[in-house]
Amino acid sequence: MEGDIGNIGAGLAIGLGGIGPGLGIGLLAAKAMESLGRNPEAAGPIQQNMILAIAFAEAIAIYALVVAVIIKFV
Amino acid sequence: MSGLLGNPKILTVIVVFAVLLVLGLAGGALGNAFGGGFLGAPLPHIQLAAEPVLADEVLPGWKLTNTMLATWLTILVLATLAFFATRRMSEVPSGLQNLFEVLIDFFLNLAESVAGKEKARRFFPLVMTIFIFIVASNWLGILPGFGTIGRFEPAYEVIHHAEDKAKKKGEEVNLDTVKLAVFEGEGAVTVQGFGSVGDEMTGADYEHMAEEDRPRAGLLVPFLRSANTDINTTLAIALVAMAMIHFWALRALGVFGHVGKFINVRQGPIWLFVGLLEAISEIARIISFTFRLFGNIFAGEVLLFAMAFLLPLIGIMPFLGLELFVGLIQAFIFAMLTLVFAATATVAHDEGH
Repeated sequence: MEGDIGNIGAGLAIGLGGIGPGLGIGLLAAKAMESLGRNPEAAGPIQQNMILAIAFAEAIAIYALVVAVIIKFV
Repeated sequence: MSGLLGNPKILTVIVVFAVLLVLGLAGGALGNAFGGGFLGAPLPHIQLAAEPVLADEVLPGWKLTNTMLATWLTILVLATLAFFATRRMSEVPSGLQNLFEVLIDFFLNLAESVAGKEKARRFFPLVMTIFIFIVASNWLGILPGFGTIGRFEPAYEVIHHAEDKAKKKGEEVNLDTVKLAVFEGEGAVTVQGFGSVGDEMTGADYEHMAEEDRPRAGLLVPFLRSANTDINTTLAIALVAMAMIHFWALRALGVFGHVGKFINVRQGPIWLFVGLLEAISEIARIISFTFRLFGNIFAGEVLLFAMAFLLPLIGIMPFLGLELFVGLIQAFIFAMLTLVFAATATVAHDEGH
């Protein structure tokens, strides 16, 4: 992509695209901590499922990253 | 606090750390503006596609790339480890065999808790292979030597490539955007030495110089680059994983049972639409498998380059730890998602409701 506009676009793509997944991962982790506090014996399954769910939330940020990388380098 | 500083060991560590920090600050790109920069190297050329190790085509239309070499190296390392771990097996394991048994035992228990005892045994070989391969290639990728030792690509070749790329898009090449680094010494194998942080020029500068004044400018094409920074590697693993998931599902549910999840005409139009959405989500899974791993590892590589450029010696150290963690977590996520998808795909639709 030519010039400075492309750079701004790439920055905006990953910056805006990071907001949603960031909030989502924060919510996920908060709920997981909460349930850990309520039920400490279930630490194993909670942790596993939290990591899996975080992976799904993170995928959205990865899409934004891909768009940014494509704008910047292709 | 005075007790801490009174301890000679802790005091030494703090002093060494402070000296390294000052050296890094003065020697890196930040210090370069004030006459320092004796440690730094210029920011490497960051390229999305893997670079060919040899300039010529090995077979017609096929070039050997550095990520491919790294993949082979990973396979070699894993094969060697597996050979030595299983060479002299004993009832009471020790050494390498013990390590592998602990690893496999941990994952087998995890798989059994997710997929059930009988199915876990069926899925386990692929899931474990994916995990071990990804973690090994990620950790090999942050070893020194990856991305720093490479082939010298002379300036005229770099400019030629830039022209080719611009021509494909139907544009004129802008030589101001073509960055070149200046190298010392001779030979085809090269590294970017200490204090070369300012030795940069653009393609336009190079073209304007007289033939005999031109320095030895060009780009470093590394021999090795972390395997998962190539989108082809991650796509290949994702395709293998998804193909196996569908194979297992076909075997467990039969052709009609499995395909019926996606093309569902018996239960009315809403279920037809649901089936369509399921089919789309299968494709989305391949894409997110591919880009999750690729994006994380590629971004990590760029982060390490940038930190080594800004703050050599000290800036890179916490991020190396981060990369070890990210490499492990991404491998774990890839393997776990494969397992979970396989476990859900082999269950018939009605059972779940």
